[in-house]
Amino acid sequence: MQKYSIFSLIRNAFSNHQNWDVVWRDPVPKKEYDAIIIGGGGHGLATAYYLAKEHKINNVAILEKGWIGGGNVGRNTTILRSNYMWDANGLFYEHGMKLWENLSQELNYNVMYSPRGIINLAHSDAQLNTYARRGNSMRLNGIDAVMLGREELKKIIPFADFSESARFPIFGALMQPRGGTARHDAVAWGYARQADAMGVDIIQHCEVTGFDVSNGKIQGVQTTRGNIKSKKVGLCVAGSTSLLAEKLNMKLPIEAHVLQACVSEPVKPFLDHVVTFGAGHFYCSQSDKGEMVMGGDLDGYNSYAQRGNLPTLQHVLSEGVAMFPNLSRLKMLRTWGGIMDMSMDGSPVIDKSHIDGLYLNFGWCYGGFKATPVSGWTFAHTIAQDRPHKLNEKFKLNRFNTGHLIDEKGVGTKTWIG
Amino acid sequence: MLEIKCPYCGNRSQNEFSYGGDATVKRPSLGKEVSDKEWDDFVYFRKNPRGKHSEFWHHVAGCRQWFKVSRNTATHEIFKTSKINEEI
Amino acid sequence: MSQKFRLNKVGYINRDKKISFKFNGKKYFGFEGDTLASALLANGIHLVGRSFKYHRPRGFIGAGVEESNAQVQLYSGAKTEPNAIATTVELVEGLVAKSQNCWPSVSFDFGAINNFLSRFFPAGFYYKTFMWPKSFWYKIYEPIIRRAAGLGIAPLKPDPDRYEHQFEHCDVLIAGSGPSGLASALAAAKNGARVILAEDKPRFGGSLLTDEVTIGNKKGKDWADEAVAQLKSMPNVIIKNRSQVFGYYDHNMMVMFERTKDHIENPNKFIPRQRLWYIRAKEVIISTGSIERPLVFGNNDRPGIMLASAAKEYIKVFGVAVGKKPIIFTNNDSGYDAAIEFKKNGINPLIFDVRENSESSTVQEAKNLGIDIKFSHGVVNAKGYLKVNSATIGKLNKDKTSYENLYDVSCDSICVSGNWTPTVHLSSQSGNKLKFDEKVNAFIPNQSRQNESTIGSANGSFTLKEALEEGFNKGYNLSKKINGKDNQTSSPTSNEKSYGKQDKFWCMPLPNKKHYKRCVDFQNDVYVSDIELALREGFRSIEHVKRYTTLGMATDQGRTSNLNGLQLVSNIEKKIVPEVGHTTFRPPYTPVTIGAIVGREVGKHYRPTRKSPIHEWHEKNNAVFVDAGLWLRPRYYKQDNETLMEASKREANNVRKNVGICDVTSLGKIDIKGPNAAEFLNRVYTNAWMKLPIGKARYGVMLREDGIVFDDGTTTRISENHFHMTTTTAQAVNVLSHLEYYLQVVWPELAVNVLSTTEQWAGVALAGPNSRNLLSKLFPDIDVSNEGIPFMGYKESNLFGVPARIFRISFSGELAYEINVESGYGVFMWEKIMELGKEMGIEPYGTEALSTLRIEMGHVAGSEIDGRVIASDLSLDGMLSKKKDFIGKRSLNRNAFLDSAREKIVGVVPVDKKTMIPEGSHLVEDSSASFPNPKLGHISASCWSVEYNNPFSLAILKDGKKKIGKKLFALSPLKNTNIEVEIVSSHYVDPKGERVRS
Repeated sequence: MQKYSIFSLIRNAFSNHQNWDVVWRDPVPKKEYDAIIIGGGGHGLATAYYLAKEHKINNVAILEKGWIGGGNVGRNTTILRSNYMWDANGLFYEHGMKLWENLSQELNYNVMYSPRGIINLAHSDAQLNTYARRGNSMRLNGIDAVMLGREELKKIIPFADFSESARFPIFGALMQPRGGTARHDAVAWGYARQADAMGVDIIQHCEVTGFDVSNGKIQGVQTTRGNIKSKKVGLCVAGSTSLLAEKLNMKLPIEAHVLQACVSEPVKPFLDHVVTFGAGHFYCSQSDKGEMVMGGDLDGYNSYAQRGNLPTLQHVLSEGVAMFPNLSRLKMLRTWGGIMDMSMDGSPVIDKSHIDGLYLNFGWCYGGFKATPVSGWTFAHTIAQDRPHKLNEKFKLNRFNTGHLIDEKGVGTKTWIG
Repeated sequence: MLEIKCPYCGNRSQNEFSYGGDATVKRPSLGKEVSDKEWDDFVYFRKNPRGKHSEFWHHVAGCRQWFKVSRNTATHEIFKTSKINEEI
Repeated sequence: MSQKFRLNKVGYINRDKKISFKFNGKKYFGFEGDTLASALLANGIHLVGRSFKYHRPRGFIGAGVEESNAQVQLYSGAKTEPNAIATTVELVEGLVAKSQNCWPSVSFDFGAINNFLSRFFPAGFYYKTFMWPKSFWYKIYEPIIRRAAGLGIAPLKPDPDRYEHQFEHCDVLIAGSGPSGLASALAAAKNGARVILAEDKPRFGGSLLTDEVTIGNKKGKDWADEAVAQLKSMPNVIIKNRSQVFGYYDHNMMVMFERTKDHIENPNKFIPRQRLWYIRAKEVIISTGSIERPLVFGNNDRPGIMLASAAKEYIKVFGVAVGKKPIIFTNNDSGYDAAIEFKKNGINPLIFDVRENSESSTVQEAKNLGIDIKFSHGVVNAKGYLKVNSATIGKLNKDKTSYENLYDVSCDSICVSGNWTPTVHLSSQSGNKLKFDEKVNAFIPNQSRQNESTIGSANGSFTLKEALEEGFNKGYNLSKKINGKDNQTSSPTSNEKSYGKQDKFWCMPLPNKKHYKRCVDFQNDVYVSDIELALREGFRSIEHVKRYTTLGMATDQGRTSNLNGLQLVSNIEKKIVPEVGHTTFRPPYTPVTIGAIVGREVGKHYRPTRKSPIHEWHEKNNAVFVDAGLWLRPRYYKQDNETLMEASKREANNVRKNVGICDVTSLGKIDIKGPNAAEFLNRVYTNAWMKLPIGKARYGVMLREDGIVFDDGTTTRISENHFHMTTTTAQAVNVLSHLEYYLQVVWPELAVNVLSTTEQWAGVALAGPNSRNLLSKLFPDIDVSNEGIPFMGYKESNLFGVPARIFRISFSGELAYEINVESGYGVFMWEKIMELGKEMGIEPYGTEALSTLRIEMGHVAGSEIDGRVIASDLSLDGMLSKKKDFIGKRSLNRNAFLDSAREKIVGVVPVDKKTMIPEGSHLVEDSSASFPNPKLGHISASCWSVEYNNPFSLAILKDGKKKIGKKLFALSPLKNTNIEVEIVSSHYVDPKGERVRS
């Protein structure tokens, strides 16, 4: 594989970039693999990569019904963080942060990991206290977190509404300084390139239409490009999870919901952090292109349409303008939607299933992007070792039977409330 | 924005309503012995179909009646709405 | 001389009104009716900006929303607007604009060094480098890249303007007022339909403003003017210019964006800047026209190179010649129209046509006018840096892969015509699956999914005759379908030129050894070589190409570039265009001001503010308010220079010693009536309700079906079938929906009605040892003794003539009562109580003192009922009836919920009895353990106990009851505190509850 560097870039410039290799091959599916990963999104690509790298299982296929990186890894707001209260989440995502920190070097692909700090604004003392509970939990787990007062915030984000006319004044904030962003497409492509180089077959436009199961064991999958055998199959399809589970007569504790995001036109950078609004669900950062990247609430009803309606965006943007009144004069350039696999307690499942050799990875709600490396890392471990890693042992499917739920927000099963 | 026909008030824009989830999920009768599985299915597990979906909506900013909607989750086409005691 | 490119005889501008404006600091003049673009071009200015990545000089490419280069910054300060499209900015006296993304100036831009280094910055170069050393991306490279990012400059002050929303319903919404749009509006309106016709531009008429056609013996423009006048006079028609339908949402919800202010010289200060229309249309007609495509050749992005249709529009509408030595470069006949207009205004154009020949009437007209036409020729490369000054022309060989000869021609502008792309954005947004039409050589709508019809050139119908027929038919048929009326307007006869066949050839090959940059996406600097590179590297899906090269991702969303990009991909991949497919069209069609989307939900109006009817009294008495959901509640009543802590201690102390009054209006109140009301409560609450006597209240806890505590409150039996429920302030709305759900969906057999009465009653709590004494003064007619109104008792009476409800309930743990009167009497009640309570030492108390009182009593509130606890965690096991079923009961069997070592509520006192424990601290055994330090529980609420005069907190602690008497550490690393604490009972004050019963 060609190594990417400033030197290879210069060298290729002198041959008019005619000599770059393909980033991943376009292979014909083999009859059998040691493992099949269904879903060429971020999590699937990462899983295949870590299977090959950490567990030396290289004879792997990724089956993607469309084009890789076309699901939520290509349509999110790119936020990375590990600012969780419950240990199961905090320690898991913190391991993820450590993977993010080395990812560009590890993949030899610049994923633009940018630890610019994520700030959760609080609008009352009570809210500051609930943030303190979370922040202190983070600190005791060895995760970075600091409290910011109103005056400190005025220096960092002076354009926020600190005026008398704010409906919900800013009292302070919890900040995770290492939280930040990464370039979403690059994450998918970077994993794809390295997985491909280690022998993983990335097979696009190959939809799984059924499963071959006998004696409680998985034998392979049926696809639009023929049957493919494997004793290990990992399901990594986020918003499409229920649809594939139905082929196995499984019902899962998730609902599909659409989450919209939007960007403004590019303007010269003025916001250097990721900021969330505490009196609503709005969050905002500014990309390296200068666009304000914004998101918020779910549209609020089951949906498999990758688009939403304007009143939700109106609601979300009103939160944005309440936080940063100067956003009002910018223009909204592009809106889009993604399908979220909203789990009933807001936390994911990375687990074995009742079928031997079939492994499940779903329920990321709207936080899947930041989990890409650690989800792949732990899922690869679960598949390779046939048991969960310590980091994902709490993300069991049967917690919905035992009651060991991991509900960060305390909103319960109304997934559409988010 | 969806336009939903409240069986009591007629067509209204979606922002008058709030969503109430899968209407095929039936709460086990009060006091009835149910297995763990039955109960957990009721509380947590959903079919979550792509396509036709029966669901509850609540006309919160209107008559405050709950009712049923049959809707395509992929296209948002609404096939039918009905009162709670009517078949959908 | 000013405006030396202004033509004398043409244009619809008002030459009587001269308008001055500033561009890049220099003053210029234009006329009323100009756009900023036409005024600049009239003054000979083409160079307006720099491209995003390489900072290449850029001029105008279009005359409307298709413009991708000419973005400018308007005005300054709070009113500044970045990225304004100069071709859509109407000229207004005093307009100030400047170029963006260049330094120090647009003609000498330091960033242009990127252009000379561009070979090192191909598509996606940033993925391949800036990785070493590790920390440099964030610390060095990214900040440098960010300095170069963005186009215009965002305002940093709040927007001084206001925006409005309007909601409309109509039968037929028509987007676009070209010939097909006007025809359909006339036909539908005359047939009685309620019509809304929207036109994005200031002028109605679309192509009729620029095309030499006749309709029913009138000039096209005159016919359009008459049609507009007629439509304006009809009461069933709303006709709006400067209004763009930008989004097609579900169930025919259309959103339109109207520009109402910026074009007015001295606007009335009350008019909104922009207005957003939500329109529910029974039928939508999309007559959005089409946009010309550029041709691709070397340095085709130089200022002075623009679409031929734009050049024609500048002549016909604005009376501006974009050049005096223009070259027309075309692959179809429509480019000839621009040439003819130049010629008619005394300017000699040169036509280079890649086709071998064409013999339509249009070409014939050009020939007759003596225009120099060279077939099988094309522009190979444009020369000139800040503005084009000559072009290399090539004679194409037969298969158009190379040139027979090359030569240079001097010129001052190049007008390109690469055929037309139907504007199908709205159709596609509606769910219409587009199809690729070989004849049109572009995507056109195919099968409607919603009630949508696309007509005219947006539908690939490029002749006037087709457009009019489709318009009249569609307008008539749809209106008839809606209202059943049958007044048909027939399509008038029309006259137009004929147009010959286009050539699909659009990208000029590179001559030997030349590496000209051939631009596909102007704003984002995407060149042919970038798309070739993407495909070479395996980015073969069109979405991958788009993301890797950023093709079509600029603010113009690829209006002029997408199809050329697609064709390039299809040529290289040897696929046909429909196989390559297109990327998704998403709203908005053009960027929309965020303020307009938000409307009036700004500042204090971001969300409603709920106030108790006693609010003004609190204000007058120095209350400091706190947000409780949407409610504003007094947090404390400030005296002199008191701090929050001092005031809340004083107020709480006074409750414990004398008597206090607290406004509890915001608590949720629900009236529950019906023969099965008691049964219903019995199902909703965890404890027993059937035998609650009339005139008694009971504390209740309700669960969610998953077993988690949902809410708590007291409910009182007013009469046999009538209960009064209270909820927490936070959950009031959710509890009502919850009750309605169970009544209507789950147990419709129960004859019960529920109704929110939160706002019907003003409520106060009287708490403290003197409260009974005070109550006797307020209600002299009734027996207020412990027997007369026992703990949890209820009585109705009147407060000096005002009907009142008296509840003996207590959140503070003191002897206490709550009194409700109708909201309108709230202030009367409050003032009466203050007056009569004066001698007993009454003082109002706020939520902070209320918290203190409930915390030291161990009463739970929102900070404990946080959506994650079960009843036994809160020591409410006794509330769980074993005899009956209730909502959520079945879930309590889960293993995790039966675990005896679960977290439980306890009290916490600092060992030093001095240090307040910050809320949100965690309890650990070893304060210096390494991370992750096992957390045993957290501090949910803290107060300064006025009873014992030392800090006291509540905590939810693992196996808490067994830890009473133990010492632990409360850590708040965020606040750098480490406090040794002792675990005590959560019932710190009056554990037996004697006071409330006294």
